[in-house]
Amino acid sequence: MEALQARLKILPAVTDAAGFMRDLLERASVSSVCISPEVALPHARTAAVNRLMLAVGRTAGPVAFDAGHPGVRLVFLIGTPKVQVTEYLQLVAGVSRLLKQDKVRSALLAAPDEGAFRAVLADGVRR
Amino acid sequence: MKTAADPAQLFLRRMVRLLRWRLWIAEKLQLTEWQATLLWAALAGFCGALVSLAFSALSEGVHEFLTGSSAGVVESMRQLPWWACLTVPAAGGLMAGLVLQFGKKLTRNQSSTDYMEAIVIGSGHLPIRASVVKSGAALFAIGSGGSIGREGPMVQLAAVAASFIGRWRRFTPPQQRLLVACGAAAGIASAYNAPIAGSFFVAEIILGTIAMESLGPLIVAALVAALTVRVLTNAAQLYHVPAFRLGSPWEMGPYILLGLLAGATAPWFLRTLRKAEALFVATRLPLTLRLGLGGLVVGALAVWRPEVCGNGYSVVVDILNGSIRGIDVLGFRQIWLAVLVIMACKWIATAASFGSGAPGGVFTPSLFMGASAGYLFGTAVHNVWPQGAADPRAFALVGMGAFLSAASRAPLMAVIMLFEMTLSYDIILPLMLCSVLAYYTAKGIEDQSLYSESLKRKAAEQPAGSLPAGRVADLMKSNPPRLAATARFAEIAGMFLTVRVNNLYVVDEAGRFLGVVSLHDIKPYLGEPEVAELVLARDILREDFPRLAPEQTLSEALGAFLGVTAERLPVVAADGQLLGSLAKGDLLLTLVEKTRATAAK
Repeated sequence: MEALQARLKILPAVTDAAGFMRDLLERASVSSVCISPEVALPHARTAAVNRLMLAVGRTAGPVAFDAGHPGVRLVFLIGTPKVQVTEYLQLVAGVSRLLKQDKVRSALLAAPDEGAFRAVLADGVRR
Repeated sequence: MKTAADPAQLFLRRMVRLLRWRLWIAEKLQLTEWQATLLWAALAGFCGALVSLAFSALSEGVHEFLTGSSAGVVESMRQLPWWACLTVPAAGGLMAGLVLQFGKKLTRNQSSTDYMEAIVIGSGHLPIRASVVKSGAALFAIGSGGSIGREGPMVQLAAVAASFIGRWRRFTPPQQRLLVACGAAAGIASAYNAPIAGSFFVAEIILGTIAMESLGPLIVAALVAALTVRVLTNAAQLYHVPAFRLGSPWEMGPYILLGLLAGATAPWFLRTLRKAEALFVATRLPLTLRLGLGGLVVGALAVWRPEVCGNGYSVVVDILNGSIRGIDVLGFRQIWLAVLVIMACKWIATAASFGSGAPGGVFTPSLFMGASAGYLFGTAVHNVWPQGAADPRAFALVGMGAFLSAASRAPLMAVIMLFEMTLSYDIILPLMLCSVLAYYTAKGIEDQSLYSESLKRKAAEQPAGSLPAGRVADLMKSNPPRLAATARFAEIAGMFLTVRVNNLYVVDEAGRFLGVVSLHDIKPYLGEPEVAELVLARDILREDFPRLAPEQTLSEALGAFLGVTAERLPVVAADGQLLGSLAKGDLLLTLVEKTRATAAK
């Protein structure tokens, strides 16, 4: 998460990386944001982003995300301004639909570099 | 992935499936607030018909008990010896007075029983005990042959039944008023077997609008009532009349005169009723004796002309069918003379009954006045110019409508009611002409109708606070269904299933309003358990949803509704506490009423 936070700072959509991270952690503390043992989908409606954004990270090894999910590998981080409810639901639904597929998950985990990772995602979205 | 056997997940799936069903049904059937209103209106119509029938049966029972005859009022009076003719109405008046006197003890501090008042200036709340007492008194006044209509109390009781339903369901005042109006429409529909006129009577006279918002429920209530009466009794149209035909277009000339005549006479008729009331009050007699005296006057007239008893229905039927017994003058039998004498006596009798305070209606007696005035006018024209009035009885029929239109100031209702009561379409053209002319003539003479005066008087007595509500807080429904910000999808789905709303209000731990979860937003994702697991109420909260403050005016509230497609809006206090919700339907009803009230001033 922190590695992602460092990268978040350079994203133009994020106006307040620390505030965003605080909101994400606060939301994750209310109820789990993992959708499978190895995928976490931290998300927050926050004033710290100025448009809907998605950041994706893959960990080098299993990471304990929360008590129930000790082996998380993929983190899909979603931030949304407070007014975009419809778009936010679309994105959450799309991402979880995609990651529900074992094939997509293993392809993402096996992708050798960023280009291949992006290709798998783009391919999944197309389908 | 979690296994499908997880009970929590199974429960969630079932919830979501149920919600999808409910949405499907809601979309297909679209049970909106208006449809619910129509269903309640139908129930009000059914109950209204039952109580009207019960009252009608009871009044016949009282009549049979007092006169020993089950024939019509006029017929049984004709059979009675003179002393009984004199004493029965007087005794009935005394008994009605006693019922009112004793009833007063039971009904202390209860508000007015008048249904029109409850609809126009009240909260739609009609006290049951006081209404029952008044109807009990009416039973004696009417059953003993008082010259007063039994239809008035029937309508009153139907309105009380509707008010009872509204209180049971805890309706807001505008809904309650509409439901009472539905009850009144049902009462008229059952009393006169005239569902269209029943709905228009209430719309035109009491609500003062024929906007579909209120007319729709009125029609439903009236038709259900008429249907109930037709199933339970062998009801047909009230007045069986021979077919009348407009002989030539020239007949319209005399009809124009009839319209003007009826329009001029009706205000005088109403004025004499009020004058009689003042005279009775001036006697300073206690109510019981006053009612007895009124009955005695009717009885004295009935000794000579039993036709004065009752609401005048049977006499009208006789006039229309030409079966009135004439009076012999110089060897010639003069029907018109008989009608003239009965009309004069009936006028006095009605003034005596109404003036003494006998509870009952003057609607049917006005029909009688119109029929006899029309018949007399028709006969006069016929004698001078036979082609101008081929059949004086047709003038009697049209005269009824014209007189009713002038007395009630509801020409539309008068035309429809006459048509429904006689099912005679042939006279519709002169009827329309006469009703409209009579209306304008009466209006020019006096700006008061059968109903407006007492309403205006009562409205002036009411403190400003009880006028139709002017602030959001007055119309607000408290305790709306609310969700915690951390509510899970299953909880949200469950609540959407139990309460029929499109937006759920989300509050924090302290009860402060945060925003809404919209059914519209979550609808596309109902089939996706991943979303359901991941999403909490706070994630899909719409914080920009418009909200109302309790002290806002109704027109400001209407403005807030303009921007959104919502049936209700949350009402939030200055400190953020969610207080209640305001329904658009309630708001529109109240604004329609307010517009009418302002226009009437």
